[in-house]
Amino acid sequence: MRVLLRRLFFYVVTAWAAITLNFILPRLMPGNPAQDLINRNAGKLSPAAIKAIQVLFGQPHTSLASQYFTYWHNVVTFNFGISYSFYPTPVIQVIQQSIYWTVVLIGICTVIGFVLGTLLGMFVGWRRGSWRDALVPITTFLSSLPYFWFALIAILVFAVHLHWFPTSGGYGIGLQIGLNWPFLSSAIYYGILPALTIVVASVGGWLLGMRNMMITTLNEDYVLLAEAKGLSRIRVMFTYAGRNAVLPSIAGFAMSLGFVVGGAIVTEIVFNYPGIGTVLFQAAEGQDYPLLEAIFLTITVAVLIANLLADLAYIALDPRTRES
Amino acid sequence: MLITPDVEALAADPDEPRPGRSWLRGLLAPKVLTGVVIVGIFTVLAIFGPMLIHGDPGSITSARLQPPSLRHLLGTTQQGQDVLTQVIYGARISMEVGFGAGVLTTLWSLLVGLTGGYLSGTSSELLSMFANVFLVLPSLPLVVIMAAYLPNSGSAGIIIVITVTGWAWGARVLRAQTLSLRRRDFVEAARATGQGPVKIMLYDILPNEVAIITVTFLGSVVAAILTEASIAFLGLSNVTQWSWGTMLYWAQVSGAELSQAWWWFVPPGLCIALVGTGLAFINFGIDDVINPRLRSAGSPPRRRPRARMLSGSLARLARRPARRVAGAAGSAAAGPGAGAGSAVLELKNLRVEYRGGATPVRAVNDVSLTLHRGEILGIAGESGSGKSTLARAVTRLLRPPAEIVSGEMTYTARDGRRIDISRLSDRELRQFRWEEISIVFQSAMNALNPVLTLGTQIDDVLRAHRPDMRRVERAARVRELLEMVGISPDRAGAYPHELSGGMRQRAMIAMGLALDPEIVVMDEPTTALDVVIQRQVIETIAGLKDTLGFSVIFITHDLSLLIELCDTIAIMYAGRIVELAAADQLYQRPLHPYSQGLLGSFPTLTGPRRTLSGVPGYPPDMRRLPAGCSFQPRCPRAFAACADQSPPLIRLETPDPASPDPASVACLLFDAAHHDHPEGLITGGGHA
Repeated sequence: MRVLLRRLFFYVVTAWAAITLNFILPRLMPGNPAQDLINRNAGKLSPAAIKAIQVLFGQPHTSLASQYFTYWHNVVTFNFGISYSFYPTPVIQVIQQSIYWTVVLIGICTVIGFVLGTLLGMFVGWRRGSWRDALVPITTFLSSLPYFWFALIAILVFAVHLHWFPTSGGYGIGLQIGLNWPFLSSAIYYGILPALTIVVASVGGWLLGMRNMMITTLNEDYVLLAEAKGLSRIRVMFTYAGRNAVLPSIAGFAMSLGFVVGGAIVTEIVFNYPGIGTVLFQAAEGQDYPLLEAIFLTITVAVLIANLLADLAYIALDPRTRES
Repeated sequence: MLITPDVEALAADPDEPRPGRSWLRGLLAPKVLTGVVIVGIFTVLAIFGPMLIHGDPGSITSARLQPPSLRHLLGTTQQGQDVLTQVIYGARISMEVGFGAGVLTTLWSLLVGLTGGYLSGTSSELLSMFANVFLVLPSLPLVVIMAAYLPNSGSAGIIIVITVTGWAWGARVLRAQTLSLRRRDFVEAARATGQGPVKIMLYDILPNEVAIITVTFLGSVVAAILTEASIAFLGLSNVTQWSWGTMLYWAQVSGAELSQAWWWFVPPGLCIALVGTGLAFINFGIDDVINPRLRSAGSPPRRRPRARMLSGSLARLARRPARRVAGAAGSAAAGPGAGAGSAVLELKNLRVEYRGGATPVRAVNDVSLTLHRGEILGIAGESGSGKSTLARAVTRLLRPPAEIVSGEMTYTARDGRRIDISRLSDRELRQFRWEEISIVFQSAMNALNPVLTLGTQIDDVLRAHRPDMRRVERAARVRELLEMVGISPDRAGAYPHELSGGMRQRAMIAMGLALDPEIVVMDEPTTALDVVIQRQVIETIAGLKDTLGFSVIFITHDLSLLIELCDTIAIMYAGRIVELAAADQLYQRPLHPYSQGLLGSFPTLTGPRRTLSGVPGYPPDMRRLPAGCSFQPRCPRAFAACADQSPPLIRLETPDPASPDPASVACLLFDAAHHDHPEGLITGGGHA
């Protein structure tokens, strides 16, 4: 219980740090981003929009403390102002429309990539010196590929050449978004190629990490003893070696998640997927700072939640963490 | 120099030889060389490429979207720009950002990691928290935001942004490394001499982290190249500055993948992946050097030929109902050779080699032994003498590069069937294990699976070998076993870390007895325990042996313990048995000079006081054993012939009339051919 509370405390502090960073960055930047923005969009902005920009990026003639306070108030009430690139839609609405796509696609793909990579890593590490070792350089190469480049190749081969999948988008034109079969089946069909890209690009990292841990764990006495006990190979591999080897991978989930999510987000852009990555791209192109900031906060919070879940899984899997 | 053979740490290691200069070999591995070549080529390309090539990567021509040709080796873009020229100029920017950010990131992580790890208290905690917060933040959106504020700032801006977002991982790794180094003796010593913290960090800790720092640096370079590509691909950096990422940006914006202009976007992506792979390969090499476990062990264990059962079928043997032995020597002996005192395990000329290095190392050399039913056979020797390797050979637990190269290991079941252990197939071996021979390891902490409860780990054995047993029956058996070794049955739900050292070792013994095996191999089961607990465990073993009637192979460096516990004792030196005798006789009249030395290095718990002498010199280097008798360089009684004749283990024909069992010894002092030697048959070190 105390372990849990401590982890929870850590995530609260991290969330606070991220939100504060978001506040400080534009104010640390040379020049005056808030005024630049207002000037650039001169005539387009209502007084309310100007006010929102100033709250987010710096108000003249106001103390930092009170700016910080107002900023927090806006964050808590999800008031991120109006988006320029989707003018005049409020930022929060733009995010609401795109977040589900991303959560479903990237959420599922990250989990599949982790499970698949860990299982493969376990098999490769289990018997060294066999043909399976050839997977190591291949996966090293795969994990060095930029996700978005891999997406370009996937489109070229599977969409443009083979016509198996659509080249871009999230669902067929003219379908009603909702819980109806034509839409869902179309969304799944459109999602396969992006999903494949993310899984293939992310699997290598998990595989290599798990393989190394597996090799280290196989030298442990308890694995040797499990073998001496005459247990089945599957039992030794999963419950004795794999079960222990996977712990650092889960602990390292935090380190890799940000990277995987970042890569997956850029992949969305290539597929013009209606998720948060594509919106991020449009926001960056249109220098839509309110939207950029809000997306950063959204992704950060999502990653923090995923990390907390990974931590809970770790505590559940390793009895040694439960005490003290 | 006196050496008492009491080196627990080494004893845990099954006599594995350490090849010298392995780090050099690790770095010269083909994978590492490939990595160095790849990275080298791209570095040369980045530095000199733009000087050698004529033409501007941005110059627009009318040759639009041309596939590769002699004129344009990699084709052209939509604006008619030459792709090859862009790739070469792109190498410069991408490598510049990659290595620039790599250096800055590593320096910053080093600063935070080193100070955070070396200092203690609040400042260290805060630095750690700081790094952890940055570690969890998803860096890409952060980079996007920061880059968005830095338009057209060129490579320098991107390098700073990547550094700010990417330093945390390295800081954490270096902090962990510093923490472990901080407690080492040489750092403590430096502190004791009054060196300042900065000096210690720079001169004592930093040099020991070079490998880890290099790994961190190369990792940061890969991450930086990928991040730069992402930023450029998003159009957030200066899109007129040619990097591999910018090329991909233009290709994507112009829909190159839709117009099938693969030559435009395939080369830059491949370049990124190749540089990344090259750097990762170099890292593998360094990893292998840092972590020897990744390097050791090469080929998979060779499949043994199918089992040749000497008689009967093993399947039948394994499926027999659980046998309870009530009396001391077992009930109703069935068939020949099954009674108490008959042979249960016979080793004949067993030879085990480690075949990793240039020359195979013979860890067990020509060992022949017989274990009798109900007997405790002790095997004693210094660490590196091959005793643990012998234990693992008997249980077929050797891992490559260790291999049984010759010899026989014959197991005789209670009903007289004989099984050649070294010829069991994988499946037969699984059935044979634990049912007939179980093993207890030295460190129960390491030998128990930390994430499973005690009960589960014992239950596993029953589930594997007694598929017909019901859950309730298995649970009852687990409780019974725990009670047998003096552990409260309600501890079945405890995890290993929740038990004391003595309890863990008892639990190991309970586990070893789960199937009522004929033989229990105990590999230094008490070495890690303190004397009082050690005594309790020994008494438990002796008591259980008397009630259950199993045989024990007891391995330890603690000869005095063996003398109290065992019936027969074998002394091992450099892979060979040098003396084999009844425990009592060995204590009264040790024959081999080495046995005499060993006995002289231990105080006995109950015996009379005597002067401790020990064995002079060091244990031999198994890779370069001396000619003749391996012990001869350390032997106080060596004579000329010892240097060129390797003495065989011979049974003494003229035993002391007082002792009933003849002893065997491998020493030229007892060889009839050297009877002229003054000390000839006058034996004994005068211990009695």
